[in-house]
Amino acid sequence: MDRREFIKVCSVMAAAGLLYGCRKIPFVGKASSDESLSRAIPALKDFEDEVEKAMARGGKNLDLVKVPMPSILNASDADLQNRFGMAIDLDACNGCGKCIMACIVENNIPLVTEEEREKDRFMHWIKMRGDAPFMCAHCGDAPCEKVCPTGAANHTPDGLSAMMYKRCAGSRFCGANCPEKARKFNYNDAEELGLLRKFNAEVPVRGKGVMEKCSMCLQRLQNDRLRFKAEHPFNEWRGRNVKTACAEACPRNAIIFGNWLDPESPLVKAAKHRELFAPRSIAKFDPSVVYMRGRR
Amino acid sequence: MFRALFCIGLALLVPGLVAMGVSLCGGPVEWFTDTQTFWGVPISLFVFWIGLAHAGTLISAAFLVLNVKMDRRTALLAEMSTLCSLAVAVCMPLMHLGVIANFYMVAPFWDARGNISNVRSPLVWDFCCIAVYGVLSLLFFVSHFCMNPLKDDLPTVAVARAWIKKVRRPMAWILFPLVLWVHSVVSLDFASTFVPEWQGAFFPLYFIAGAIFSGLALVNFLLTFENYRVRVLEKLTLVCSWFMCAFWVWNFIINGNFCVSAFVFAGVLPQLLFVEWVRENRYACVSLWLSILLGMLLERVYLVSPTMETFGWIDLGLVAFGAGMFLVTFYGLRRLLQKGIEDDELLMGDVDTVGEALDSEFEAASRKYFLPLSTPEYRILRLPVLCGILVAILFSIWTFNANDQVNIELRLVNVFPLFGPIIALVAALILTSRALWTVSRKSVRWVVVSLLVAFAGACGAFYAGGSSVPEKASAETSSQLLDNVSVVNVVWDSRCATCHGIDGKFNKKFVREFYPVPQTLSLDRLDSIGEDSLVQVILQGRVNMNSYEGRISEGMARNLVMYMRILAERDSARASSAGEDEE
Amino acid sequence: MTPLMNALACLLALASARFLWRDKVSMLKESLILLGFLLISCFYTFFAADMSLVQMEHYPFRMLALFLCFSTTELPRKRRRYLVLAQTAWLWVEFFAGISLFYRGLDMPWIRITAIAGIAFGSSFLSRINREMEFCLMVFWIAIWVFF
Repeated sequence: MDRREFIKVCSVMAAAGLLYGCRKIPFVGKASSDESLSRAIPALKDFEDEVEKAMARGGKNLDLVKVPMPSILNASDADLQNRFGMAIDLDACNGCGKCIMACIVENNIPLVTEEEREKDRFMHWIKMRGDAPFMCAHCGDAPCEKVCPTGAANHTPDGLSAMMYKRCAGSRFCGANCPEKARKFNYNDAEELGLLRKFNAEVPVRGKGVMEKCSMCLQRLQNDRLRFKAEHPFNEWRGRNVKTACAEACPRNAIIFGNWLDPESPLVKAAKHRELFAPRSIAKFDPSVVYMRGRR
Repeated sequence: MFRALFCIGLALLVPGLVAMGVSLCGGPVEWFTDTQTFWGVPISLFVFWIGLAHAGTLISAAFLVLNVKMDRRTALLAEMSTLCSLAVAVCMPLMHLGVIANFYMVAPFWDARGNISNVRSPLVWDFCCIAVYGVLSLLFFVSHFCMNPLKDDLPTVAVARAWIKKVRRPMAWILFPLVLWVHSVVSLDFASTFVPEWQGAFFPLYFIAGAIFSGLALVNFLLTFENYRVRVLEKLTLVCSWFMCAFWVWNFIINGNFCVSAFVFAGVLPQLLFVEWVRENRYACVSLWLSILLGMLLERVYLVSPTMETFGWIDLGLVAFGAGMFLVTFYGLRRLLQKGIEDDELLMGDVDTVGEALDSEFEAASRKYFLPLSTPEYRILRLPVLCGILVAILFSIWTFNANDQVNIELRLVNVFPLFGPIIALVAALILTSRALWTVSRKSVRWVVVSLLVAFAGACGAFYAGGSSVPEKASAETSSQLLDNVSVVNVVWDSRCATCHGIDGKFNKKFVREFYPVPQTLSLDRLDSIGEDSLVQVILQGRVNMNSYEGRISEGMARNLVMYMRILAERDSARASSAGEDEE
Repeated sequence: MTPLMNALACLLALASARFLWRDKVSMLKESLILLGFLLISCFYTFFAADMSLVQMEHYPFRMLALFLCFSTTELPRKRRRYLVLAQTAWLWVEFFAGISLFYRGLDMPWIRITAIAGIAFGSSFLSRINREMEFCLMVFWIAIWVFF
């Protein structure tokens, strides 16, 4: 075999392999153009069924330890007025799971395929752990943000652990470094597979290969802030009119959203005389979402 | 023999390419990913192949540094195996990514919008280290071939040799620590996380030992097919297997992890080297080296995804892809460079005398008196390294400033792992550039220049950044919400006022950071541009202004232009009334 | 780990370092001694220290590095080179282990690292290493080990 022949063989092999590997692409393209109108959109019932399945699988019970009340973030750019967070009242919560459904509807969370369901890879931002809902705790000193190579996972001055979907390269390092595994990875293109229903036009649909997690209903906070700033340009915004979807949906008022630095906030009023807890593995990272139980 | 190996490589590569294509197309869902860590086979393969990639350069550089005699052909093969396994290793993390097109965002460089990668992340260090390592080991490898350039031109040969002799050993002094640095940084990807199975402050050493061990096995494997044995390397492999066992014991004590199959394949079986029959038998040797490689691969898989039980066919295909691509590139390259490798000047067992020559030069020099800062050692090695340190310091100052703007608090620890590759890159480039430039032919120079131009172009493209429009915007509907004329001031105040000011005058504090400073939106200027162009500017973006297409509708943009006019009118009325007051 | 046990570890390294370069140098013998010392220090750490402390994760390897440093004083030739290499190895262990622990919430041992780096850098300029200089270096290393 002389050199030219050899190169020819090599390139033919490589081209054949790649062509075979990419065989899906043309069909994918067709599907998205032809069937865009007829693409299946799951019914609300499907989502409810999936929530039931996820709850039936359950999760490890939370191993809670006592934590102090969250205060101003330990960061140079920390907002001195606002730090948003939640407290989940374990005495009131009965684990009904209505919050999961509310979160799905608010944030356009897709269904997962059958295989993913078997691997327990639900996309739900809230998971039932024991009898308590667990979502991203928006740690002030978040380990996930430290290892994100592109800076897609970052912290806002008012205490949210935010996510720049457009900047995410999908290295999943953040997911590996979260001790409680609150982050979810988009293994599939949900829209393509007909697993997505756009409930809320204000929340962008996350593409395939991107990490996502609880955003503490950032869109509600942003809308309220914009409106407030337009109406009262010179006043300080404290986010008093906002409630996250899960907090709104809770029939027993067990999830309380608010501003840890605002004494008027329902959160501070509710948490002031209670004992606060956080999962043991993240207690040292200054979480913004805590659990409360008993009286102090 | 080589052709047979090449064919085996092809036979592995073809199904491997299929698996690669499927997983590139389907993304991480296609292969096994750990439920705890989201990481899977590509990362194990990456660690495995990057380990192999360290061996070649490390062996020849370390031997050159430590004055261990090694023949040039072994060194050449080892370095070539480094380059080929590096090529395999680089594919793996790329494929691991969820959004492959975004891989460039990992580079610690900034773009026009002020986005900057997160230097705190070990993945960024990893990226830099491997890039630098690839460039430098290529340089080191190429320097072999500059030693015997065109035969007919004797004076050039003499000049070239003189230059290369000066370069190769200092280069080895730079590469030796760099190789270890790279693998230490790779280990930090694991050791700096909160995953219980990956915790261990000894991981840097553990990974280095693993890399050297598997790399030695590979080099031995390749040498067996050359009908050649290097005793030192065999002994060293044996010794490494003992140290690996010690590391495994310690890992078991710390984390309770123990991979039995790895222990058997890479810990117990190599001890057969003590049996003389095994040592002398080629087939036994080959299977022994293969068993070490297999054991190390299993160990990496076990380490990265502790919950893994079975290999899917895609996972197997990826393994095959690695092996196949290595064999094909290695033996393809070997065929291409056959002349250089099997040159009559480069026999097996021909000892590399470069080191000795330089040593004697140094010894001669050490007897002379030199002014401080003018010894040959200082000129050749210390000065480039000092330059490297300077660049590294400048880089860290810049990074601290840049990260301050995006409100990421850096510590020295976060930037320090980048010092190694930066210093090595700068020092090696200073060291080799002059030598290689004088030695190389015209065509090579053209290639280098065009590569530099391409690199500058890539930097420019990086700086310009990609589109900021979300791929799957839900803007059609959300903009309807804000399409009402009555909310135009809300949209202005929320979206435009940060830069353009609530009253339509520029927010001076913000705008002064931009150059060229934008012109004021006065009434005259608005009229001269015209409504349609202004709408286009809003939708498409211009200079420092981002595109708002997909975020606000065209109707809203028109309303905004009208609102701009109102603001400008108000402003000019105010100005004229103020003017009248003054009069 | 109590200061006493820490000092004992240092003594252990010092005592066994003398055997490394004794007699004829051969790769198998040298690596067997190194391996033996590594295993001894692993078990020493396991029994003498509280293994729940994360600082203990790399303790045997620190001991090995110290052992290497001490052993270079016994070398007949090329001492400067191996002296610098051994100290760099120690620096390496401390530094990368420090980074790993830093990300898990501990502070970097900057004082120890700068001290080792300082000595390593300084000793790269030594032209002749006589008995007094050896003694000086050893005292420095012991001081770093015990106090920093």
